Amino acid sequence: MAPVIELKNINKHFGDHHVLKDISLSVEKGEVVVIIGPSGSGKSTLCRTINRLETIDSGEILIDGERLPEEGRNLAKLRSQIGMVFQSFNLFAHKNVLDNITMGPVTVLHKSHSTSKDEAMELLKRVGVGSEAHKLPSQLSGGQQQRVAIARALAMHPKAILFDEPTSALDPEMINEVLDVMTKLASDGMTMLIVTHEMNFARRVADRVIFMDDGRIVEEAKPEDFFENPKTERAKTFLNSIKSE
Amino acid sequence: MNYAARTFRDVLYEKPGPKTRSLITVFTVISALLLFLMLFFAIRSFYVNDQLNPKYWFFFTKITTWQFIGKGLVGTFEAAVLAGIMAFIMGFTMMLARISRFPFSNKIAAAVIEFTRGVPTLLFIYFFFLIAPGMGLKLPSLLKISLPVAISASGVVAEVLRSGVNAVPKGQKEAGLCIGMTEWQTFIKVIFPQGFKYVIPALISEIVIVVKDTTYAYVVSFPDLMQNARVLISNYDAMLSVYLTVAVIYILINYYLNKLASMIEKKASTGGFYGSRNRIKKYQ
Repeated sequence: MAPVIELKNINKHFGDHHVLKDISLSVEKGEVVVIIGPSGSGKSTLCRTINRLETIDSGEILIDGERLPEEGRNLAKLRSQIGMVFQSFNLFAHKNVLDNITMGPVTVLHKSHSTSKDEAMELLKRVGVGSEAHKLPSQLSGGQQQRVAIARALAMHPKAILFDEPTSALDPEMINEVLDVMTKLASDGMTMLIVTHEMNFARRVADRVIFMDDGRIVEEAKPEDFFENPKTERAKTFLNSIKSE
Repeated sequence: MNYAARTFRDVLYEKPGPKTRSLITVFTVISALLLFLMLFFAIRSFYVNDQLNPKYWFFFTKITTWQFIGKGLVGTFEAAVLAGIMAFIMGFTMMLARISRFPFSNKIAAAVIEFTRGVPTLLFIYFFFLIAPGMGLKLPSLLKISLPVAISASGVVAEVLRSGVNAVPKGQKEAGLCIGMTEWQTFIKVIFPQGFKYVIPALISEIVIVVKDTTYAYVVSFPDLMQNARVLISNYDAMLSVYLTVAVIYILINYYLNKLASMIEKKASTGGFYGSRNRIKKYQ
């Protein structure tokens, strides 16, 4: 079976800056892959190329064995199958929590209002914000907003969800409530690609850790191997620098 | 932290000390005196020029006068609402062309917007009144006034809407695209409603300009408030009293429009504009 996400020899430049250098990786169904690395290493950009929020200069992106279209309805359709959770939540500011979640199912999947509403309530309960359904995003805490964002992604029944530093904009006491939801998702068998700085979480949840630096994949290993015995000097320095914090 | 209670004074100035307080008192007294003097001389010049003579004012006691003014008000209302709706439709279309991905339509839209913003309303009115009929375009007098007023406002509406759309954070668009909506769906369901909300006060200011522009209706003999006022003036040979009354009516209309704008602005800035609607929904 083809991997859910497969990248082949991706290259990308921002002007003169070569941000992604010949990246290849694949994520199998049900796998949780965590990308870590220093800031500016290109991990967020990599995450965003997968649903073409960033374009690539060369290489190939395959979703479920199918080439990622470059534009139009086909691209929109593929995007609907890949969920995305942002660092800054990006909930629709003018819609209440419930409408945030039903917008995709109603507009894109053409489900009825009542079905998607029931489903949305289920999802909200699952991520622990069932009582906030009628509030506006701005009335919620950061942790609640991010959990709603996860529910919004889940409502599309995606083949995989991309997490682009989902806890980096949160106050420390809210990080765990989001990580708990993600851990539950992972154990439910969701396919996930996660960019994060939460090392303990990565160690606990990841099936595979990818370490990036300067636009390259430097090391790729099982979490216990990576955190106990990093093979490259760069990874050793990185892990030491965060340990001392 | 009660932002609602803060006025522009709190933002611009620190709390006044004793010296400033006495200075404020002095200036208040001087301004009051000047205002009083101005009022005095205005009324005195009315009196000297016999403008307070009852013959200039008695017809305001007749119900027919007010009915006539009321009819004019309805005309103003019709022209302004029609012009406002057309200006919004044209402005929205021009805004779409201006922000579209096709460079050619951007350029055309930019040129049209500059044109409509740069040409005085009266010239558009003359075009539809004097030139268009010669080219076979005969419009009813309501359209002869509201169409040119709408055209004149449309460019500003387009730019105001565009500034609102541009102010919506980029993440909103990305979130829309990521749940699989097309660019157009994302624009209509996510970007535009938010951008529109930001610019409601600016749009209401533009409606005030539309209302004022409809006073050109006399050019095309459309019976708006201004045109009917001119009829009253020639009937009773009373210029000042009629103009004064009409001015007060226009001031009241535009005052309440502006008040509406600042009310909406306040609600929007505290997040209550959509929130209140949702709260209502919850208790239904």
